[in-house]
Amino acid sequence: MTLTPLTRRRLANFRANKRGYWSLKIFLVLLVLSLFAEFIANDKPLLLSFKGELYIPVLVSYPETTFGGVLYSEADYSEPAVRELIESERGWMLWPPIPFSYYTIDRYTGEPAPAAPSSRHWLGTDDVARDVLARIIYGFRLSVLFGIALTLFSSLIGVTVGAVQGFFGGWVDLIGQRLVEIWAGMPVLFLLIILASLAQPNVFTLLGLLLLFSWMSLVGVVRAEFLRTRNFEYVLASRALGVSSFDIIRQDVLPNAMVATLTFLPFILTGSITTLTSLDFLGFGLPAGSPSLGELLAQGKANLHAPWLGLSGFFALLIMLTLLIFIGEAVRDAFDSRRSVTSMDAF
Amino acid sequence: MSDRILEIKNLSVAFHGSTVVREVDFHIDRGETLALVGESGSGKSVTALSIPQLLPYPQASHPSGSILLDGIEMISASKATLLKMRGNRVSMIFQEPMTSLNPLHTIERQVGEVLFVHQRLGGNAVRKRTLELLEMVGLQRASERLTAFPHELSGGQRQRVMIAMALANEPDLLIADEPTTALDVIIQAQILTLLKDLQSRMNMALLLITHDLVMVRRIADRVCVMNQGCIVETAITKTLFSAPTHVYTRTLLNAQPKGNPVRIKGDSKPLMQADKVSVYFQLGSGFLARKRVLKAVDEVSMTIQTGQTVGVVGESGSGKTTLGMALLRLIRSKGKIVFDGVDIQGLNNKSLKPYRHDMQIVFQDPYGALSPRRSVRQIIEQGLRVHEPHLGDDELATRVDGALEDVGLDSTDKDRYPHEFSGGQRQRIAIARAIILRPRFIVLDEPTSALDMSVQAQVVDLLRDLQARYQLSYLFISHDLKVVRALADELVVMKDGIIIEQGRASDIFERPATEYTRALIAAAFDLEVVNKTSANDGKN
Repeated sequence: MTLTPLTRRRLANFRANKRGYWSLKIFLVLLVLSLFAEFIANDKPLLLSFKGELYIPVLVSYPETTFGGVLYSEADYSEPAVRELIESERGWMLWPPIPFSYYTIDRYTGEPAPAAPSSRHWLGTDDVARDVLARIIYGFRLSVLFGIALTLFSSLIGVTVGAVQGFFGGWVDLIGQRLVEIWAGMPVLFLLIILASLAQPNVFTLLGLLLLFSWMSLVGVVRAEFLRTRNFEYVLASRALGVSSFDIIRQDVLPNAMVATLTFLPFILTGSITTLTSLDFLGFGLPAGSPSLGELLAQGKANLHAPWLGLSGFFALLIMLTLLIFIGEAVRDAFDSRRSVTSMDAF
Repeated sequence: MSDRILEIKNLSVAFHGSTVVREVDFHIDRGETLALVGESGSGKSVTALSIPQLLPYPQASHPSGSILLDGIEMISASKATLLKMRGNRVSMIFQEPMTSLNPLHTIERQVGEVLFVHQRLGGNAVRKRTLELLEMVGLQRASERLTAFPHELSGGQRQRVMIAMALANEPDLLIADEPTTALDVIIQAQILTLLKDLQSRMNMALLLITHDLVMVRRIADRVCVMNQGCIVETAITKTLFSAPTHVYTRTLLNAQPKGNPVRIKGDSKPLMQADKVSVYFQLGSGFLARKRVLKAVDEVSMTIQTGQTVGVVGESGSGKTTLGMALLRLIRSKGKIVFDGVDIQGLNNKSLKPYRHDMQIVFQDPYGALSPRRSVRQIIEQGLRVHEPHLGDDELATRVDGALEDVGLDSTDKDRYPHEFSGGQRQRIAIARAIILRPRFIVLDEPTSALDMSVQAQVVDLLRDLQARYQLSYLFISHDLKVVRALADELVVMKDGIIIEQGRASDIFERPATEYTRALIAAAFDLEVVNKTSANDGKN
């Protein structure tokens, strides 16, 4: 694919914003690392040698009997009995840097939960003795993926609704705008709390619930852009050629609206993540046990004597949201046509 | 005080290191009019803006030269000096009177501000002087209009207010940057007469920047011709027009649209017939608002033969463009529209689609008419993809190449984007998009008015050539009668939505039947006559 000069100029503008460019790099590294969270924080060894044979417990589930145990359920590699079984046959285990998953309850901390940070738990444990760092890594992944999914779906709906309203105008626009206004006037947080208390939501129902109210943020922007563009002469020219409305929207009008949409995306993403976190904090979000940053904050509030809980959650959110905001600012600058003085024609 | 008000020596202007104006020398005396003539991009506006130091510094710089305004050096002058000079000793009028006035302030306030800033007058004195100025620039019912907002005035009236603001402090030098380009021809003539008159009354120097040679001939004492950042010729106006020395000046003078319209064959049939076509717009819509109706086009009837060009002329707001759109069914209208024997008025979008193949439009603004995000190839082949979807990629490419060749562009350019082309080239692309389907009828909506004079002539030649080759019928909409005369076989003169004169173009040019047509013709070809008619026009 060849880049148009415009795209190239925007990329250059993006790179010129050093803070945003570095934020993107750091964020991508964190995201990729967290996508492989199972290899970083897990209660199963990455690699295991037993009687000269290699096993990969991180990917495959082996019953305890494989290693000479008595249970037919999956081996619990952190249990001293299992370790002894494996090591007695001159076997070895390669552990991830953090030998706990987000749900692993560490029964061998030697102090009451929540346990303070130590060499065993770098950021301490929460009030049911789960490793905080592991929960943050998984929580980061869940928050970002959830945020991206919510952003994508709400942009899709928002752009479509805005496009239809803006392009066809008139009564469609009038009625659509009033409906959007009424819908936007609902007390969203209370509705979500009521809906969430009717049934314990899982990730997908929660996504659906939030989607009901989050798609409106883009409607106004896209609608305005369409209202502006639909009277341009090149749109008229396309209509004179007999091009169908759908194709006109797709080829001539939408690309203009995409600039505004893309500029907004990072900020919608931050908003989505914040919404999820606040619901989790209130206890109406993801099902209990999920690795969630909001739940970590709630624990910090309930256990003020264990400041590492609140502080870890706070800094995790701070870093994630700050990176996203910086990226968003850089994207906004990149699409701002007034910033490109370098390539501006002299009169 | 010396007579020499402005002395520019060896002036260069550079943007980001690339020089756009090269070692320009000229001077203006008190009471003299100097015209700076050139095509767009020749550096005339940049030169003018550097006199009051209004360029976007520090992106712009002056590698060499000096600008002496009444003996005071402007380049590297202190901010205080510049502020004292601007609006006081030197003032400017810009091309676009709508954007040059603040839409949120009344006329009184905007003119008064200039007086207040530079002369420190009190409230009553400002008001009195403002009224005086507005009367001086010929704004009718000036005392009532003091409280008017810019949008309540017409283009010509706004330009008069701009002039009043520029003259408020009786400057030594007035820079007029294309002061009439955005105005209708008849108003143009009035504004020019006003400028000339005020100049002699106030004995100020006038620097006129323009591409319109008719205007130069009428009011300039001396002319500087600019090309690619250099002044190629400076001469007394009369000498320049009678004996131009530089090659470029000669091409500029010869670049008038020439030639005669294509004759239609005797047996040609009517292709497009409009019978009492009307387009009404509702103003003040809403539940309770009083409904008013704007009759943009009112019961217009006309016939266009195969291979014929019908010119539609009239000032802006006369409904020319609306008529063109209505004939192509791009806006809703009433009345009968018969294309090739079929009434297309009642057809829905689907049954209209085959006719879209035969009817096309070319717009005025070559910048707005091409989607900035699509390559030239995508723009041109769009019509083929809709109407001849069976074509393969190879055939599409051949047809696109053919269309580009037809309009005189290189087929290797097809993967570039519109912004990489000049105005004239863009207009060629727009024409290529229209003709690739081999339509039979094309509406040309002011296709030349956004272009430079020499490019206009080329586009007119191209259009005539294509017409002869493909037996095209044109509806040629324009306010510029010079171009219309070179292309149109029949003429329709519109005013306020109705046709006031209709017939063979040659007859109308020789014996215009209405006052309005006479004024239009006079404005296009000869300014002297306009002065008489403009006085009449001013009354209504």
